[in-house]
Amino acid sequence: MMSLTKVRLTDVVKKQYAYKLKAYIQVFTTLIALQLLAIFFSLNGVGSMGSSSESLEMDVHYYSADIVVFFTMLWSFIIAILITTKAYRNDDFVFVTNRVSSNLSNALFLLTASVIGGVTAIMSSYLMKVIMYFFVDAQYLNGTSIMAAPMEWLLGIFSTTCYVFLLGALGYWVGTLIQINKAFALLLPALFFGAFIVEGTGTAKLVSTVYDFIFTESSILLFIVKIIVIAGLLFSSSMVFSNRMEVKQ
Amino acid sequence: MNVIECNRLTKAYGGAKALNNLSFKLEENKIIGLIGRNGAGKTTLLKIIAGFMKETSGEIQVLAEKPFNNLTVSANVIFIHDQMNLPTALNLKEILQAAARFYENWDDELANRLFDYFSFNSSQHYQGLSKGMKSTFHMILGLSARCSLTLFDEPTTGMDAAVRKDFYRALLKDYIAHPRTIIISSHHLNEIEDLLEDILLIKDGKEYLHLPVADLKEWAIGLQGKTAVVDEWTQNQEVIFTKSIGIDQSYVVVRNHFSEADWQTARTAGVVLTPVTSSDLCVYLTSKTTGGIDDVFN
Amino acid sequence: MILNLDGTKPIYLQISEWLEREILNGNFESDQKIYSQYQLAEIFNINPATAAKGLNILADENILYKKRGLGMFVASTAKEMILDKRKNQTLKRLVTEIVLEAERLKVSKQELIEMIKAADIGEVEQ
Repeated sequence: MMSLTKVRLTDVVKKQYAYKLKAYIQVFTTLIALQLLAIFFSLNGVGSMGSSSESLEMDVHYYSADIVVFFTMLWSFIIAILITTKAYRNDDFVFVTNRVSSNLSNALFLLTASVIGGVTAIMSSYLMKVIMYFFVDAQYLNGTSIMAAPMEWLLGIFSTTCYVFLLGALGYWVGTLIQINKAFALLLPALFFGAFIVEGTGTAKLVSTVYDFIFTESSILLFIVKIIVIAGLLFSSSMVFSNRMEVKQ
Repeated sequence: MNVIECNRLTKAYGGAKALNNLSFKLEENKIIGLIGRNGAGKTTLLKIIAGFMKETSGEIQVLAEKPFNNLTVSANVIFIHDQMNLPTALNLKEILQAAARFYENWDDELANRLFDYFSFNSSQHYQGLSKGMKSTFHMILGLSARCSLTLFDEPTTGMDAAVRKDFYRALLKDYIAHPRTIIISSHHLNEIEDLLEDILLIKDGKEYLHLPVADLKEWAIGLQGKTAVVDEWTQNQEVIFTKSIGIDQSYVVVRNHFSEADWQTARTAGVVLTPVTSSDLCVYLTSKTTGGIDDVFN
Repeated sequence: MILNLDGTKPIYLQISEWLEREILNGNFESDQKIYSQYQLAEIFNINPATAAKGLNILADENILYKKRGLGMFVASTAKEMILDKRKNQTLKRLVTEIVLEAERLKVSKQELIEMIKAADIGEVEQ
C-alpha cells in the first residue's frame, strides 16, 4: 500500500489561500476599474459653498473618497457572492479540500481583498488631489495626509478595511444562502428593501438601529469588536450552512 | 486491505435512485474497470467515493474513512472527469504548479514530460483547449498526482485514437512503476479491458458483476445452432442473450456452467460454442431485455 | 508479436502460448530466467496480474519453475513438455473437429486421410 498522505487543516487552508490569491486575480482588476470610476464621479466634489463680494469671489469644494469607499464596499459584497457560486466553489474540489478548509481560505481571501480595497480606497484621495492639481483650477488644496496626521490616516485605512470586510462577510453569507436555496435570491432583497419601506412608514426603526450600531460607533476598540463579532457570525453560519452542500457539476 | 467498502449504499435524487443498495469491496493496488450503461450510476458512485456527494443511506468507507467532507480522503484521492473546473486565470503550467503544491506525491518530472510530449505550451489557458486536449490535460493531472486512489471517469472523452492509446500505455507504465488503486469508468471496454485486473459491472445502481477480467471471458458462452437443439441445451440455464439467425437457427448466450465433456457432446450435437467477448457480454448483461434492440422490432 | 485482441481467447492463454513458442523457438534455454510479469505487461500493454496468470499456467504445468524472489525459470524438460502437450491436447482437439466437420460433409475416413496426406505434401513443397 502506498502510505497515506496525512494532511493538517491549517496546511490545506494555507495552500488554498495562496492558490486563491493567484486564481482569483481577476477580482482585483475589477477593483481598480471600479475605483477609477468612483474617482471620476468624485471629481465634482461632494459638496461646495461659495461667497462673493464686489472684489472677491470664493468657492470652497469638498472632495472626499467617500464614493470610492462606497464602491469598494459594493465590490467586496459582490466578489464575496461571486466566490460562493458553483464555478468558484467547485474550483476548490479539483485539488485537496474539504468544506471547512474551503470556507476558511475564502474568509482569508476576502480579508486580504478588504485590506487591499481599504488601502487603495484611501490612497485614491491622493490620486484625486493630483488630478485636481493638474486639471482643476484650484488655488489651494488641503486635506489629511500621512505627514500631517498619521494616526488619522491609519485609522481611515483601518476602518475602511473593516467596513469593506464586513460587506464581504455579508456578501458571503448571502451567497451561501442562495447556493443552498435559490429562493433566497428573491427573499433576501425583498427583506432588505422591505426593511426600508417599514422604516419609511415609521412603524419600526430596524435600519437606523443597525446603521447606528455599526456606522456611528465612536470608540475604535468597540468598533473592532463589533466588526469581528458580526463577521465571525456571518462566516461561521455560512460554514455551517455549506458543510453539507454537495459538489455538482 | 480494501480501498473501498460499500454496504447497501444508496443515493437518491428526489425520488429516483441513482444507486440502490450497492455493496462491494475493492482491493488495493488494482486497476479496476467500472462498467455500466449511461445512467447506471457510475458517476454518482465516483462522486461519493471522492467525497463530493453524501450517500442517502447505507455505508461507504474509502481508505478506511467516511469520504464526505474528509480531508484525508481528499488528499489521497484524485477524481478526474470531463467537467473539471480548472481556474481560468492560471495558464496550464501554473495549474500544474498549483496541483504540485496540493498533492504530496506529485511527480513533477512526469507531469512536465507528458506536458511536452502532448505538445502543450506553458502560455496556453485551459478554456482555450479542445475537448480532447482538455481530457489529455486532465490525464496528466491524474497520473502525476500519484494518489493512492485515482478515479478516472470517462477519461478519454474527445481524445483521438492515437492519444487514447498513449494514455492507456502511460497509465500502465506508471502503474507498474508505482502500484496504486486506479478505477476507470469507460464505455470502451474493449479498449481498456487488457489494462484491467478486475471489473465491476453496475446496472440500475446495483452491483451486477464483480470479478477478475480474466474470468469474464469464461463467465458466459455463446451457443449457435438449430433452434430446437440450442433450446434443449439452454433450458434451465441462465439465459443472457438470444437472437435468431436465418431460418431455424439461433444464437443464445448463457452462463457457462458447462464441463469440458458437455462441450464435446454439444459439439457432436451440432451446436457451435463460441466465447463471448467481454464488451459484448457487458452489453448483453446491462441490457433491459435478453433480445436487445431486436425486441423493439418484434 | 501482437496479441489477438479480437477477444475470443483469454489474454492470459495467449501469453502462455506465446511464451511456449518463445521456448520452442529456442529464445529461452533451459534454466534461463523468463520474462517477469511486469516485463510481459509492458511488452503487451496488459495488466501485470493477467501476465502473471499466463506465467502461472506454465508454472502449474512445470514448464516453468519458480525461484523465490528471483522469478521464473525454464524447466530442463520444457520443450518436450510443450510438444507433448500440444500433441495430446491441441492437435487432438483439432483432429476431433476435422473429423466432425468431415462427418457433416459426408467425407469418408479414407477420403479424409488422403486429404491430410495431400496437405502434408503441399507443406513440403512450400
